[in-house]
Amino acid sequence: MTLQTSVATAETFVPPRARSAVAGRVLLYVLLVAFALLFFTPFVWSISTSFKTLPDSAFFNLIPDPFTTEAWRSVWNDYDFKRYALNSLFLAVVVTLLNLFLASLGGYAFARLRFPGREVLFVLILGTLMIPDQLRLIPVFVMLTNWHLIGNFTGYILINLVTAVNLFFMRQYFLTIPRDFEEAAKLDGAGYFKTFWRVMLPLAGPAIAALAILQFQGTWNDFFWPLILFGQGSEHLYTMQLGLAQLTLTYQTLWPQLMAGSLIAIAPILLIFLVFQRFFVSGVTAAGIKG
Amino acid sequence: MTSATEAVPAPGRGSFFGMRVREAGWGYAFVLVPMAVFGLFFIYPLVYGIYISFFEWGILGKAPGATAGLQNYDTLYHDQVFHRAMRNTFEYALLVVPLEMALGLVLALVINARLRGRAFFRSAFYVPSVVSSVAITTIAIYILNPDGLLNKIIGSDQAWFGDADTALYSVVGLNAWTTAGTVMLFYLAALQSIPTDVYEAAAVDGTSRWRTFWRITFPLLKPAHFFVLVVFGIGALKVFDQFYLVSQGTGGPEYSTLSAVFYIYQEAFKSANFGVGASAGVVLFVAIFLLTLFQRATVGRSEIG
Repeated sequence: MTLQTSVATAETFVPPRARSAVAGRVLLYVLLVAFALLFFTPFVWSISTSFKTLPDSAFFNLIPDPFTTEAWRSVWNDYDFKRYALNSLFLAVVVTLLNLFLASLGGYAFARLRFPGREVLFVLILGTLMIPDQLRLIPVFVMLTNWHLIGNFTGYILINLVTAVNLFFMRQYFLTIPRDFEEAAKLDGAGYFKTFWRVMLPLAGPAIAALAILQFQGTWNDFFWPLILFGQGSEHLYTMQLGLAQLTLTYQTLWPQLMAGSLIAIAPILLIFLVFQRFFVSGVTAAGIKG
Repeated sequence: MTSATEAVPAPGRGSFFGMRVREAGWGYAFVLVPMAVFGLFFIYPLVYGIYISFFEWGILGKAPGATAGLQNYDTLYHDQVFHRAMRNTFEYALLVVPLEMALGLVLALVINARLRGRAFFRSAFYVPSVVSSVAITTIAIYILNPDGLLNKIIGSDQAWFGDADTALYSVVGLNAWTTAGTVMLFYLAALQSIPTDVYEAAAVDGTSRWRTFWRITFPLLKPAHFFVLVVFGIGALKVFDQFYLVSQGTGGPEYSTLSAVFYIYQEAFKSANFGVGASAGVVLFVAIFLLTLFQRATVGRSEIG
C-alpha cells in the first residue's frame, strides 16, 4: 500500500515524456549490448579455439587449457600459409599499384583533357559496371586458357589491371580540384604528363589513399578469380583465401588450425581497417553513389 | 568549332589548334591502357560469352561440327538442377535482403542515438563486411557445426549447413549478419541527412518515439530503402563464396546450396560444359540487367548521397 502510493507519487513528478526517454535509452543500451554480443562472440570464440589443442577444442571453455600456439605454428609452416600470405601480398601490392597508376591516369584524362569521343568512351566504361563477373567467368577463362595465362599470376594481374570503379572514383576526385593548379603548371611550361604526375597526382592524395586501401582489401579478400584461375591444380599459386578454403574443405574438424588460418586471413585487413577507418567509409559511400 | 579555330591566325608554335591536337593525343595516350583492359576483359567477354552460349563448347573449345543454336538454352529450360539453382538464388535474395535492411536499419538507429562508445560500435558492426568472406564462413562453419557453440547455447544438435532443410536459411543468416554493417553505413548517412527540425516539430506535438519513427523517419528514408534494396539485391543474386564453402564445393545436400553462379561454375569446371555455363551466365545477366533498369526507373530520379 505504502509502496504503491510512493510509486504513484513519483510518477506524478516525472513528466511522461522524460520517463519514456529514459526507458528508450535503457532499451537502446540493451540492444547495443545484444548486438555487441552477436558481433563479438564469433571472433572471441575463434580466437580462443585457435590457442587450444585439438582435444580441448571439443569443449566449451573460453580459456584454452592448455594454452598453445601450436595451431598457429602448424598452419603457418606445415599448411603453407606462409606461401599463401606471400602470394596474396604480392598480388595485392601489384594490382593496387597498377590500379593507382592507371585509374588516376585515365581518370585525369576523362576529367580534364579534351579529345574527340571522350564522352562515348566514358559511358562505355560506366556500362562495364553492369557486366557481372559471373558472365565474364567462362569467356575470360577460355581466353586466358588460349593464351596460356591460366596457372600463373600474369592472367590474374591482366584482368585486374584497372577497374571501372577506380577510374570513375579518380575522375570524380580530379573534377573537384580547381583548374588554377594546372594553369600555373602550364605557364611554367610543364607538359601534360608532367602536369599530371607532378601537380595533379600529389593533389589527389586522399583519393589515392582511399583507392589504395580499398583495392588492397579487395584483392586480398578475392576468392572467386583465384579459384577460377589457380584452383585447377596450381597449388604453388594459392592465395590466402584459396589456401584457407582448401584447408576448410579438406580438414573439416581441425578447428584450432582452421580458426588460426581464418584469423591470419582476417588480420592484415582488420589492422588496415582499424588504422584507416575513414577511408573505408568514404570509399563505401562513393561506391554507393555509382551503384 | 573548326572554322572558328581556323579563323584565328596561327600564332606560331603552340597554336590553339596545335594545342588541341596535342591535348587530344595525350588524352588518348592516357586512356589507352584502361580502354584496352575494359575492351578486352569486359566488353569483348560479354560478346564472346553470348557467342559461346550458342554452341556446344567443351574444354578444348567449340565442339567439332557444332552449329549455332539455342540448344544450350533448351538444356537449361529442361534442367531441374538449373531451375533449383535459380530458385535457390531468388529465394536467398528475397530472404537475405529484407533481413539485411532490417538489421542494418536497427543498427543505424542504435548508433545514431548518440550513446556512449558509438564510434567504437559502428566500427565493430562494420568489421564483418571488410574482412574475408572465406574466413568469416569458416568461422561460421565452426560455430554452426553439430557440435558447435550455437547448438551448445540453444541445446540442439542440428547440422545447420549439412541439412537440406536448413542450409539455405543458415547462409541467409550468415550473410545478413556479415552485410548488415555495410547497410548500416548507408542508413546512417541517410539518417544524418534528415533535418533535425522535423524531429523538433514532432517533439513539440508530443508524438511518441515509436510513432515518430514510423510516421516520419521511415518514410523519409525511402530513397535509402530503394537504394539498399537494389544494390544489395543485385549483390545477392551473385552469391557464391559462402554456398561453395559450406557445402564443401558440392552445392549439396540435395542441391540446397546451389546458387546460379555456383551452377555456372560447376557446369564449366566440373562438367566442362562451357556452352551451357555461358548460357546460364547470359540468363543471370539478363535478370540482373532487368533489376538495374528497375533501379533506374524507381530510384534513378531521387538521388541519395
